[in-house]
Amino acid sequence: MGANSTYLQRDEIEALSAARLTAWQTDLLHEVADHAYRHVPFYRELWTGVGIGANALHSLEDFERFPIVTKRDLVKAGERWVNPRQGRVAFSTRGTSGDPLLVWLSAEEEEAYIVPTMRGFRWAGFRPGMTALLMSPVWHRLAACEAHAVARLGGRCAFFWGSMGPEYLGSFLHALSSARPEFVTTTAPFLLSLIRRGTGSKVPSNEILSGVRSISVVGLPLTPRMREFLRDRLGVGDIFERSGTQEGAALDECQYHTAPHVHEDVCYLEVLDDAGTPVASGVRGRLIVTKLSSAGSIFVRYDTGDIAAFAPGPCLCGSEFRRLKIFGRPESSVLVGSRLITAYDVRMCIEEDADLVGRNVLLIRDADSSAGVLTVAVEGGAHDQAQLKARLRERLGVNAARMVWLGDLKLNWGFRQVLDGNEIPLPRS
Amino acid sequence: MPTENANLFFDVPGGSLSFGDGELDVWAEHLTWCYRMMGIADGATIAAQDFGSSPISFLGSSLLMPGLRRGVAERIDGRFICLDASAERVTLTPALLAQLKVDALVVRNDIVELLAAELRKKGSAEVATQAMKTTIVVFGDEPPALNPTVTQPWRHLMHVERALLLAPECTQCGCVHLRGGFYEVKGATIRNLKLAVPPYDLSRGELIPAGRCAAGPDDWGIQLPIRRIGV
Repeated sequence: MGANSTYLQRDEIEALSAARLTAWQTDLLHEVADHAYRHVPFYRELWTGVGIGANALHSLEDFERFPIVTKRDLVKAGERWVNPRQGRVAFSTRGTSGDPLLVWLSAEEEEAYIVPTMRGFRWAGFRPGMTALLMSPVWHRLAACEAHAVARLGGRCAFFWGSMGPEYLGSFLHALSSARPEFVTTTAPFLLSLIRRGTGSKVPSNEILSGVRSISVVGLPLTPRMREFLRDRLGVGDIFERSGTQEGAALDECQYHTAPHVHEDVCYLEVLDDAGTPVASGVRGRLIVTKLSSAGSIFVRYDTGDIAAFAPGPCLCGSEFRRLKIFGRPESSVLVGSRLITAYDVRMCIEEDADLVGRNVLLIRDADSSAGVLTVAVEGGAHDQAQLKARLRERLGVNAARMVWLGDLKLNWGFRQVLDGNEIPLPRS
Repeated sequence: MPTENANLFFDVPGGSLSFGDGELDVWAEHLTWCYRMMGIADGATIAAQDFGSSPISFLGSSLLMPGLRRGVAERIDGRFICLDASAERVTLTPALLAQLKVDALVVRNDIVELLAAELRKKGSAEVATQAMKTTIVVFGDEPPALNPTVTQPWRHLMHVERALLLAPECTQCGCVHLRGGFYEVKGATIRNLKLAVPPYDLSRGELIPAGRCAAGPDDWGIQLPIRRIGV
């Protein structure tokens, strides 16, 4: 199966049965591995070193023999990782886990990724004729596909001035009132900052957002209560979670919000345990990404560092695309005793108390994790501490939970969800 | 590539810009001309530390905007690196420059000092000097007062967003060129001839009539009071 003919048929992929989808993906994996072996020295040397030669991939079982690579490997590889078809445009990863990595995008690869972006936007309610207020196209490789997707769906694109930090909320609000979009893509931390700002604003944000039917958000795994909170406080029709990585993972939620569907036409995702063995659906492990394109930067069995799990069972929407929830990565988690606790898990516990939904929650990384004490800082005044501590202990399996109520200390919602103990002035608990 | 009908709206400081079919290519060609006037050669790698809603960014490549047939990268047969201008992303630039040599680093004037501080903090000033051939400082209403960059040469690109005024500092005469056919000058007012935007009233600098510089004989010039102070 040739790459060009494959991409032309991507709209049909949604309708494939699971077995046919697997066969189709195996063909693409073969194509990518073959290209990487012949044209990217880093992969050829890596695979040859473990006894994998050319034309060695004929099944998913074969593929599981290929070694896992990390960002450190790719940064170290430098020029040996260059793909002759990598393209003209590069984006930077956020550098949350060490040095940032430049990831290249080519026209051929973007063409492949625009199709799932259109699919995700359709799932999220975008319709021809709508105006979409979009994230900056230079923010992320996937964001660069958004305006193309909107244009092809027959929509109008609008952009606000600035970036995704809370200092640009004024620009965002101005663009909302100027462009009057029905569809918005942004980050969840940005929306939470908007709600915070709204309490002191002359014009409540939900008036400006009243015409918005859907918001597609990235940047933070949504808990069910967080989704309701955002939807209700902003007064919009619905909130959809998008997720993905610069390295090629691309996922979007359908209307049932059970977990984002993997866009299986552009990426092959695996979830592995620490021994490198695939885990069952519903079990958490490390997210491994392979981009199903031999254009752009090549990622074959790349360990993103994310903690993720496939959702078990079929989705009510009928799509055969698997569903996967990305819960966080080591930078948004803390080690308590021997357990890795994600900020998502802690928010799930805290948000069971309706009064605490939407509050900024930070995990505090203690220098000594061996005591098994989880330290959680929550914005605002103290609240029902005993029940909350018990819930954290029971649900998360830690010896003890320590709550720190931040009182009037205002924090901007950002992508960071964990702080070292010495980074924040902690009031007495 | 399937047909993309561009219908684009950019909210910019003090106004907005709207583009329909074919209009982005006019401005990508103009921005390419600006880079050439500043001495950027074909085949260059240009890294732009600017917001995505700035034409410096979104005209960088056809991959970034629908309806843009050939962005700057395609026109110079070069490469374009997207570096957002948020403070969070500026901190990453030293590490990126250590990975890739760029021919031009385009930086908004309001983050030049932050970038210079990051380069010093990371001990990357020497690496950056080797990695960047030219630094282009983008300024708006206020001419830049200093250039705390760590490399030579630097150039300046005047960019007033609300008027879509993009005017490069010429390597030959040192003036900022207002390209003939794109901008019209009457008194101290500069009018954009290619896009329906409000005129811009120049408050600083001296306007120099066309015909003074061989690099752009039809261009008016602006002599700006830029003080050159390095680190």
